[in-house]
Amino acid sequence: MADLLFNVGYGHFLVLAAVLFLIGVGGVLIRRNALIILMSVELMLNAANMTLLTFSRMWGDLSGHTFALMVIAVAAAEASVGLAIVVAVFRGRKNVDVDRLTTLRH
Amino acid sequence: MRLLIIITSAILAWGAAETIAPSLAVADAIPAQVGGNARVKPISTRTPHSDRVASSGTGMALLFWAFAAATVGGALFVITRRNLIAAVMGMVGSFLGIAAVYMMLYAHFLSVVQMLVYAGAIMVLFVFVVMILNRPEDEPVAPTGRAGQAIGAIAIVYLVGRLIMLLWKVQPPDPTKALAAPGLTPEGHEWGTVKAVGTDLFNGGLFPFEAISILLLVAVVGAIAIARPLHDDQDNEGNTPDGEGH
Repeated sequence: MADLLFNVGYGHFLVLAAVLFLIGVGGVLIRRNALIILMSVELMLNAANMTLLTFSRMWGDLSGHTFALMVIAVAAAEASVGLAIVVAVFRGRKNVDVDRLTTLRH
Repeated sequence: MRLLIIITSAILAWGAAETIAPSLAVADAIPAQVGGNARVKPISTRTPHSDRVASSGTGMALLFWAFAAATVGGALFVITRRNLIAAVMGMVGSFLGIAAVYMMLYAHFLSVVQMLVYAGAIMVLFVFVVMILNRPEDEPVAPTGRAGQAIGAIAIVYLVGRLIMLLWKVQPPDPTKALAAPGLTPEGHEWGTVKAVGTDLFNGGLFPFEAISILLLVAVVGAIAIARPLHDDQDNEGNTPDGEGH
C-alpha cells in the first residue's frame, strides 16, 4: 500500500495513460458537441503518447520519443483540419451537434 | 463543484492505481524473464531499465499524484462541462499536467513541445473556434435514442471492465527488487534532451520527419480550403473591385 503510494514506477504512468484514454473514449461516446469530441480525441492521442514515452524509458530506446513527436505533429494537423470542418459545418447549419448532422445518412 | 470533481478524479486515479498499479511489477520482472524465460521475447535486444523511472522519493511520488490528479481532473472537466470555455480551460490544465508527467519520464524535450504545441497552439485554436461559434450547448449528454444510449453505456462499461481485468491480473511488485533498483542510469542525464531526441530523429526517423512536413503543409492548405467562406457568401458580402473569386 505505502509502496504503491510512494514508489512510483512505470505502472503508475501506464495506468494514468489508460485512465486518460478511457476518459477520452467516454467523451467521444457521450457528448454531442463536435468540439468536445475533437478535444476528447486529443486526450486519447495524449494518452497514447504517454504510453509511448513510458515504454521508451522502460526499454531505454529513444525511438518512442521520435514517434511521440510524430504523433504530436499529426494531432496538430488533425486539430486544424477538424476545426476547419467544424467552422464550415457551423456556417452552413448554425450548430455543431453531431446528432443532427444526418444529411449523409439518406 | 470543481473541488468535488478534482477530489473525485484524484480518488479515481488513486483507486485505479491501487487495484492495478502492481503492474509496475511487470516492468521490473521483465529483465529476469528475458534472461531465463524464452516466452518473453523483447523486440529490442536491449534489456529495459530496472530503475523506478524518475520518481524514487516521497516528494516525487507526491508530485506525481498531484500532477496525475490535475491531468485526470482536467480531462473529466472537459467531458462534463456544458460551457465550452470551461472545457477548454480544463483541457489546458490537463495538458500542463501531462507535460509535468512527461518531465518525470525524462522526456524534457517532449514536455516542452507538449506545452508549446498543445497548451500554446492547439488550445488557442480551440478558443478561437469557440468564440466564433458562441452558442451554448443545449444538453451536454446525448439523449437521443434509447439504442444509442444503451450502446454507449455498454461500450463504456465494457472498456472499464476490460481495463480492470487487465490490471487485476498483474502481480504485486517485489519490494526488495524495487528497493534494490538504481535510481539513474549512466546516460540518464542525457535522456530525452533535445540533443538525444534530435540524434535519434535524424538518424532513423528522417523520412517520417520529412513526411510530417508535407502532412502539415497539406493540413494547412486543407484547413484554409475547408474553412473559407463559400462563393455565395462572397457575393453577399459585397464585391471586391477586382472581382476576385468569380
